[in-house]
Amino acid sequence: MASEATVELESRCLVNLCIEAASQSRAAVEKWRRQRRSLERLPSQLGELLFHRLLRRRLLNPSLLEIFKHSMERIDLRGESYVDAEWMAYIGAYPYLQSLSVADCPKISSSSLWPITGMTSLTELDLSRCSKVTDSGIRHLFSIPTLEKLCISETGVTANGVTLLSSLTNLSLLDLGGLRVTDVALSCLQVLKKLQYLDLWGSEITNNGATVLKLFPKLSFLNLAWTKVTKLPNLSSLACLNMSNCSLLSIYEGRGDKGHLAELILTGATFLDVDEAFLHVDTSLLSFLDLSNSSVQSFWFLPSMCVLEHLDLSGSAMADESAEIIARIGANLRFLNLSNTRVSSAGVGILAGHVSNLETISLSCTPIDDLAVSYLSMMPSLRVINLSNTNVRGLIQQIGAEPDWVPSLAALQNLRFLERLDMEEIQVGDAALEPLSTFQGLRYLSVKSGFLTDMSFHHFSSVQELISLSIRDAVLTNAWLDSFHPPSTLKLLDLRGCWLLTEDVLLAFCHKHPEIQMRHELIHALPSDQDRSKHPSPRRATPRTSRWKQQQAKVSMLPLGPVKDSFIDQRLKYRREELLSLQFSSTLLVPVGSVPPELQME
Amino acid sequence: MRKEDTVKLISAEGFEFVVDKKAAMVSQTIRNMLTSPGSFAETEHGEVTFPEITTTILEKICQYFYWSLQYASILYDSGKESEFHIEPELTLELMMAANYLHT
Repeated sequence: MASEATVELESRCLVNLCIEAASQSRAAVEKWRRQRRSLERLPSQLGELLFHRLLRRRLLNPSLLEIFKHSMERIDLRGESYVDAEWMAYIGAYPYLQSLSVADCPKISSSSLWPITGMTSLTELDLSRCSKVTDSGIRHLFSIPTLEKLCISETGVTANGVTLLSSLTNLSLLDLGGLRVTDVALSCLQVLKKLQYLDLWGSEITNNGATVLKLFPKLSFLNLAWTKVTKLPNLSSLACLNMSNCSLLSIYEGRGDKGHLAELILTGATFLDVDEAFLHVDTSLLSFLDLSNSSVQSFWFLPSMCVLEHLDLSGSAMADESAEIIARIGANLRFLNLSNTRVSSAGVGILAGHVSNLETISLSCTPIDDLAVSYLSMMPSLRVINLSNTNVRGLIQQIGAEPDWVPSLAALQNLRFLERLDMEEIQVGDAALEPLSTFQGLRYLSVKSGFLTDMSFHHFSSVQELISLSIRDAVLTNAWLDSFHPPSTLKLLDLRGCWLLTEDVLLAFCHKHPEIQMRHELIHALPSDQDRSKHPSPRRATPRTSRWKQQQAKVSMLPLGPVKDSFIDQRLKYRREELLSLQFSSTLLVPVGSVPPELQME
Repeated sequence: MRKEDTVKLISAEGFEFVVDKKAAMVSQTIRNMLTSPGSFAETEHGEVTFPEITTTILEKICQYFYWSLQYASILYDSGKESEFHIEPELTLELMMAANYLHT
């Protein structure tokens, strides 16, 4: 709560009001611009705030870049499709620039990197997913020996281009994800003795190439996901290893200094013999283990991981028999994901009482029933519970009591810290949700069930701290929404699939509570500024999902275009004949790439 | 209004703005100057000179001090918001001054 209050306070501090006023419209920009030709005296943190606000509002253009010349240390142009060589020409003249990200800028090519050659202050450069950047672009980077962090994942750089990077000896972070790095190319990079972070997912590295990794004395993060590597040599400095979707024979060898791994991500990995694979790993300091969707069958390696905090076994062969093994190391666990496994209520029962520090548990898509809910109430630190897609009904039979069926969720009242409860796709009825109105700490709630009616949500105004409420597919009526007094903290109300609600009532609610974001099939809201800044963290996500998320992010960005028309796809706007004539009439204005390929063929 | 309850803010051109101490304290920088234990000249005379802030900007800042006080009280009473208008021509100068004053 405290942090929210300061954000509120800051949003109306004078500095922010000024930035808001300065980036209000094109006219406002023109007015203050006429006063000053350069922002030389502007502190960099203010310059950066203003720069990025103008960027998000699409008010920044190459000619405006000149005045920011002396006040920028970090520039983030990620995902801006109109950033091109002209922008880079101005940015290349920024004398104090330290960090530049043009990731996901499709117009950036090798030649547009030429202006940034010789920028001696630059230490960080992100060119991820700029597919037009090739080996010749890498040559432009030679004259920036200060570079410490370089991301060129999923660009057009080949193995030859990667060998060229060996001259950038100050590199500590190198992201080569999705490039066809070969064993030979990797061995050329062994001169980079300062390397700490190396991402090689999807490369063509084999076990031979992996032996070169021993020659990086400071390497602490390594990603070899989606490669053919099956055996890893001893890497004593390594703290975080990602070998998702590899076929693993062994991690580390018998002899020598093996160091201590803290984080191990093996999503979707296949093992011949899991005990053999872990035999030489010192797992006594391992705190993060992700084995989701892997082929692990037996979990007897777990007890040696005594400080484990984060354990993800979703989609694995985990079952009730192995629950006891988790219980043994339960004391330190904070996060446990058992979704998509065969764990039943009996398994949850074995865990209860052994996991006193557990904060997050996910049991979605498991065959648990209401008995598990009462076991969950014996895990005192729980903050987040996911019960989606299970056999939980929310009612439990009590022997000798009258009435026989009582709401099982009432047991969760003991959990003082409970913040989030997900119960989608389970057949709960009104009676089952009755106890929820007494959960005072609850902030996020999602239910999805066709059995819910107005009855369930009469008391919801009393849950004071609710931030997000999602009631999907329920039989809610207009009368309920009319009389609903949302708690003052509510930010999101998701009513998708509530088919009885009508558009006018939904709109009236939106009008009355503009601070609440409403989701419903009849409401079409533009994504907010905040949605765009969310980029997936490449560290945890496996490459495929991260790419998928990027695409998702882009899709949601589309309607934000500078032109306010309702056409998203140009093919919908013009008829086929019109498009064809446009193709020939204005070739100078329309780049070839913007005409759909199937039309170019003709 | 007693003299102890007011502060004199002096602009680069020498214009003097007499404002409530409470209002001037909206600025973290001025608050520090007026309340810090060491005997600053500012603390004793209730005068602060800003050789880098022009009169126009200082006037706007004083307006903001009062708006901010009023806003804080209104917010908790009725939930209604009023807007503080900033002329686009002033935005950058004002921003730098505001940054210096921590408001």
